[in-house]
Amino acid sequence: MAGSGSSEIVHSTAAQYAPWILLLPMLAFPIILYLGKAMNGNKMWKDTLKEGGLIALGFMGASLVLSLWLVIDFIGAYGGTEMLSDWTWFTSSMWADGDNAVSTVSFGFGIHIDHITVMLLFIASFLCLLINTFAIGYMNTDPINDNRNHRFYAEFVLFCSGMLGMVLADSFLWLFIFWELMGLCSYLLIGFYYERPSAAYAAKKAFLTTRVGDVFLMVGLAILWDLFGSLDYAVVFDSHNIEAVAHDSAGTLAWALGLMFIGAVGKSAQFPLHVWLPDAMEGPTPVSALIHAATMVNAGLYLVARMFPFFGHEAMHGELADLAFIIAAIGGTTAVMAAAIAFVQHDLKKVLAYSTMSQLAYIFTGLGSALYLANTLYWHKYLPDGTTNADYYVNHGIVIVAFGAALFHLFNHAMAKGMLFMASGAVIHEVHHAHHHLHHHEDDHDHGDPEELVMLAKYLNDNDQTVYEFFKSIDLDGSGDIDMFEFQKALTASQIANLPPWEMTALVKAVDLNGDGRLNLPELDLALGRIVSDLDHGHHDEFDAQSMENMGGLASKMPITATAMLVGSLSIMGFPLIGGFWSKEGIIANTWRVALEDPRFFYPALCVLLGAGMTGFYMSRMWLKTFAGSPKGEVAAHVHPTNTWIKIPLFTLTFFSLGGVILASMGFTHWAPDIEYALMSDHGFIGGFLYEMEHVFANSKPFFFILTYIAIFIGAIVGPGLALSLYGGALDEGETAKPWFTPVLALNAAVKGRYHWDNSALAGSGFATALSNRLYFDHYYDMAMLKIVAAFSNKAAQADASVIDGTVKTIERTSQDISTKLRALTTGSARDYILMAAVGTLALVGLIWGVVA
Amino acid sequence: MIDPAWVSGLSALLFVIGLAGAFTRKNAIIVLMCIELMLNAANMQFAAAAVHHGDTTGWVYTIFAIAIAASEVAIGLAIFLAMYGQHESITLDDVNVLKN
Repeated sequence: MAGSGSSEIVHSTAAQYAPWILLLPMLAFPIILYLGKAMNGNKMWKDTLKEGGLIALGFMGASLVLSLWLVIDFIGAYGGTEMLSDWTWFTSSMWADGDNAVSTVSFGFGIHIDHITVMLLFIASFLCLLINTFAIGYMNTDPINDNRNHRFYAEFVLFCSGMLGMVLADSFLWLFIFWELMGLCSYLLIGFYYERPSAAYAAKKAFLTTRVGDVFLMVGLAILWDLFGSLDYAVVFDSHNIEAVAHDSAGTLAWALGLMFIGAVGKSAQFPLHVWLPDAMEGPTPVSALIHAATMVNAGLYLVARMFPFFGHEAMHGELADLAFIIAAIGGTTAVMAAAIAFVQHDLKKVLAYSTMSQLAYIFTGLGSALYLANTLYWHKYLPDGTTNADYYVNHGIVIVAFGAALFHLFNHAMAKGMLFMASGAVIHEVHHAHHHLHHHEDDHDHGDPEELVMLAKYLNDNDQTVYEFFKSIDLDGSGDIDMFEFQKALTASQIANLPPWEMTALVKAVDLNGDGRLNLPELDLALGRIVSDLDHGHHDEFDAQSMENMGGLASKMPITATAMLVGSLSIMGFPLIGGFWSKEGIIANTWRVALEDPRFFYPALCVLLGAGMTGFYMSRMWLKTFAGSPKGEVAAHVHPTNTWIKIPLFTLTFFSLGGVILASMGFTHWAPDIEYALMSDHGFIGGFLYEMEHVFANSKPFFFILTYIAIFIGAIVGPGLALSLYGGALDEGETAKPWFTPVLALNAAVKGRYHWDNSALAGSGFATALSNRLYFDHYYDMAMLKIVAAFSNKAAQADASVIDGTVKTIERTSQDISTKLRALTTGSARDYILMAAVGTLALVGLIWGVVA
Repeated sequence: MIDPAWVSGLSALLFVIGLAGAFTRKNAIIVLMCIELMLNAANMQFAAAAVHHGDTTGWVYTIFAIAIAASEVAIGLAIFLAMYGQHESITLDDVNVLKN
């Protein structure tokens, strides 16, 4: 078994230090937590060490240096696979099948380094460091976080350690362990503001939804263990082992991989387990940037990419094509669905959350296509019958370009989306700050009644309905008091609000005087009466710093942030030559390539093509609503540039997204398990650029050539064009922006001035309502939970009370009855005892007599 | 010589009278007397058996039993005095602290 204590293949010194990449952040976790407790409130700790932020930065920096060393070592000197496992965790003896011999299985931790590892390793460690820098500027300047930032940084470094560990691990077992560690940290960080019910709810939702996927992943891993007798990559990816398994039980292997894919669906927030990601935006913005855009959601993609050797092995030829289709179809569905929902979001971070889902779905579609190609093409040097493969060169290239496109999109998306989230964080931070500055005297919300109650009071007033009539009409079961669900139904029916459960809880709590969780007539009457009398005095100021409705015209006020956001958006849209362009076009082209082979793939292929235009629309909409036009409201007019800690990562990542062209020219689109096609392959830089321009779109047929231009047209012209005609506009008079915004803003003003059209009919349509309700997925999931799970739980509780507790209670009651009866015999009177003794003696004598005689 | 069967019969009769008295009477002193009666029934049986077999062991037992009975009466009367101190009565029906 691998992991049994010896170094197997060690080629580089950097690999020897690889365990420290994940151990350093893991070490920082207790240090920050302990120091944070011990020095809480200390001035030096707060101002100089940034409540642990700088300690985390130091450890993450060291971790990044080691990662970079490893990456450079890998690219420069060696491009194959390395394995280093020199630590045995535990050894267990097992009974082997058949004969009763004891076989020993040892579980060790080792490092596995190949092209996928290296790419993810760079993304994770690089973004962790940048987001850590950002977090210092974001978290430590908000008074609400005072004296608890150490908790944030401790959980942050623990998360980084989990991500790096998952990437470096050399077995599916360790992958799963670190996967769960990330899940835990995600839960803790989403719930960082746990005093807010919505944050606590979102944390639970994220944890439980991903857990649904994880159960399947665990079952998949168990099946894989059953097939291979190990979960080490060295064993399961071994060519002979795959051959043996493919020969006996290829179908079972497909099931194992399919179940593992469900785990990836949960972690990467794909349909139908996508509901947690938008809610996860309750966490602080650095968390959204790190976990829910750049790293953790990529874990699912990493897992699917890891399965490549199964798909690519010739022994499995054609066996896994259906699974590849499922992967691509789930991706295509999510890509379009999430993009459509992003159309109607007003919350800046929610747009980005749906964009993340949509882009991850692109990568899934790309992986699905690549895995399909790897599984159905003969792309190895020799055919299964041993003869030389004539199509080797062409097919090999196709598979590697398809796989490389998906992986490169992962890279581009992580960089761009990490930056976009940080930029959105900077905007929110500054808008919030400006609001606080303008309205600091109104910030005490302590007397506020819930808005819905105010609306309800107005509604009753307008309709001349008394509280008593209203109460009778909503008390459906006539029980004399109403519960949360009846109340929710009534609020929906009177078109006041359709509130999620956590807000209903808060609302009920505001009215419920006796605290029994139900509302009766006096309570409701009292609350509404108080509000009616308050309506004359109080006025409510609900300011949402995340809503794009409160922004606009920020391009002149936050130039660096606006630039970063623009470049990130262009990268996500696939604007020619910028980052995402190279990979996104590759994914679209390769999905269509498969569609020409297998008509089923027309579905994902159409989805990704359509999604390109939708991406162009919603990303442009977001940028224009935030940065172009006139400021909506006085808050947006008083925003200031952000601080240096936040600017540094934005600046760095802007260049990374712009530099997509350099990376593509270096051959990163071929970032695939093959040294021949690897980096800088015999073209040089300029040659590489021209080669990529020619080949990245899989241009072997004219069809793909035309397709590419269609994709560019709808992604970079139609989608953004629609947004330009609807949103934004020129900046106000006297506002000056950086010169590179001039063409964008001028184009915006020109298109909007000339082609502006009224979209209010569309915005008011039923479909738009459905979209802003997230297509009712949460609603139906909640209902399914209430109707099925809650009903089942009630039955289970009944069974527990009647059967299990019932048995125990019957035994107890019977023995008590018997003892009561027996106790009556002890009268306490000595004469009775004598009588009993006499009768007993007589009986004994009689007995002995009988026996003897 | 009297037939030993008669003596045994008398002894059994005395014993049953004592037993019945011990069951039925409420006064503790009478119950004690009945217990003495049962002891003496046993003594009589011992004595009769000793004469019949010409063996002195029976006499020895009888003497021991009488000595024990004497000390028992002393203890019994002491108990009754203590009982009277607590319950203001020596009626056995009033003494049922062991009930249930």
